[in-house]
Amino acid sequence: MSKPTVAIFDFACCEGCQLQIVNLEEELLDLISVVQPVEWREAMSDKADGDFDIAIVEGSITRPEDEDRVREIRKRCKILIALGACATFGGVNKLKNKFTMDDVRKCVYGDAADMPHLSTAPTKSVCEVVQVDYRVEGCPIDAGEFTYIVRCLAMGTDPVIPSYPVCVECKLRENVCRFEYGELCLGPVTRAGCNACCPSAGAWCFGCRGFVDDPNVNAAKDVLEKYGLTIEDLNSRMELFNYGQEPAENVKNG
Amino acid sequence: MSITKLNETALQSWVDRLIGQHQVYGVKAKGDRFAFGPLDDAAELRLDYDVTILPPKKYFLPQSQELLKFSRRGAYQPVGEPAPFVLFGVHPYDVVAIAQMDEVFSKDNHDRHYMQRREKAVIVACDVQKASPNVFAACMGTATVQEGFDVLLTRIGDDYLADARTPKGEALLQRIEGGADPDPASLARREQLWQDLNRFLMRHELKCAPAKLPGVLDQQEEHPIWKKRAERCYSCGSCNLVCPTCYCFDVQDEVDWDLENGRRVRRWDGCMLAEFALVAGGHNFRATRAARYRHRYYRKGKYLWDRMGQIACVGCGRCVTACTADIANPVEVFNTLLEDR
Repeated sequence: MSKPTVAIFDFACCEGCQLQIVNLEEELLDLISVVQPVEWREAMSDKADGDFDIAIVEGSITRPEDEDRVREIRKRCKILIALGACATFGGVNKLKNKFTMDDVRKCVYGDAADMPHLSTAPTKSVCEVVQVDYRVEGCPIDAGEFTYIVRCLAMGTDPVIPSYPVCVECKLRENVCRFEYGELCLGPVTRAGCNACCPSAGAWCFGCRGFVDDPNVNAAKDVLEKYGLTIEDLNSRMELFNYGQEPAENVKNG
Repeated sequence: MSITKLNETALQSWVDRLIGQHQVYGVKAKGDRFAFGPLDDAAELRLDYDVTILPPKKYFLPQSQELLKFSRRGAYQPVGEPAPFVLFGVHPYDVVAIAQMDEVFSKDNHDRHYMQRREKAVIVACDVQKASPNVFAACMGTATVQEGFDVLLTRIGDDYLADARTPKGEALLQRIEGGADPDPASLARREQLWQDLNRFLMRHELKCAPAKLPGVLDQQEEHPIWKKRAERCYSCGSCNLVCPTCYCFDVQDEVDWDLENGRRVRRWDGCMLAEFALVAGGHNFRATRAARYRHRYYRKGKYLWDRMGQIACVGCGRCVTACTADIANPVEVFNTLLEDR
């Protein structure tokens, strides 16, 4: 059986998720034993000719020409994987959508803001522009989860990605709850899969894997008072990764 | 079986001797809280703990456990035998919970992975020295315990009484150096302590006997409390995961890079998680928070009772502490149902 071909592309991001793949180091040999990379800017000079089986796309879509480019990539692949928070739901890049595009350009480019090549549009995730088959969440991605997904695809099985909050993994690691330290942690509404790395390292959960499918943000608001926190604290904490996601409107179950 | 009285120094040297000869897991400080972990030194042991974050069930049913290695061609190989260990400082309510888990995992489908670990364990129980913020063991009849362990340690003033109740426990007591026979006054104080624990280990008061709970829950499926309290539920499973009597797990296969060999792993699951009752074909038997929330209390107070005559709550209060939304207190739920009958 021939190995599936894989092309990796980057859009607006720090390219740290792609770097997580490069950082697999000796495990890269295992990776290329099951897939054949044909384009991967951080690791090889070659460019893909024609179509490929799997496209892995990181970064957000922030210019009209990028929308065209990602649509073209979608046409060339059978399976498209969105890699990391910028691609899956917009992540930190969505903070830009708080401002007008004129203000954003002036803030970043100053006097050169009106140059035609610096035009910019509100941030979209890759998922908002093209159909995405699989999502690898996180900022950055978890390399173990990424390689698990690759192995599942190479075998033709569906990966099992947690639908439950970070609290599950945090409890399994027997961490002291961040709320007990009076901190506002986004673990209860954030999708697990990171093995609760931030709470385990002594920080709160920043919500970089996005909300669980049915986050109970109303509960989060109720809980604030108990811990002496405010709605403003919650909003500012959620803004970093989840600006514009408005999950509260999606609360369905009761 | 014998009882030995020993002072703090003799206790420490006994524990150090055990550490030198066995794998010993005991209660240690973790941040502002406590957790069972491997003991390297008797000085780490904190028998004055109030409650551990996770119950000691993790040594019999680990959070993540490899069950077997397999090849996709069909061959498989079970994991090796677990090593013997000493579990040091288990509170009575957790002793009761372990006894209940033993019944669950030994009856019907005999679970060799659990039972092998259970048979390799020597349990040193320890009477509670400090009440945790939400303990209600006294309501559940689990504040003190007379069976289900090998040795029971009780602090009496500056000394301890070590009471062996099994041959394994007796063998452990033989390693004590500098112990003495217990004096009648110490034994009398222990009796008094047990009486006090059975009265006072009660931060929340259940307004009925535990055996009444199946009746309290009978035909209350439509009570408004389920929907009302579930509105604040994150479906985070924290109440399940810290519970000493919750035993559900999920099983997944993980495959190596050769796409040929792999391992079958089980991990703790919880009935409060959204996909717990999701089955093939996409149907979820408990799709709403309210249905999941209700299930937990029926499970604790009625379903397990109907099956094995036990209430699946030992009053440790871990769920009450772990639930940031403050909806997990079984005493509040059961008392409300009781008042509305």
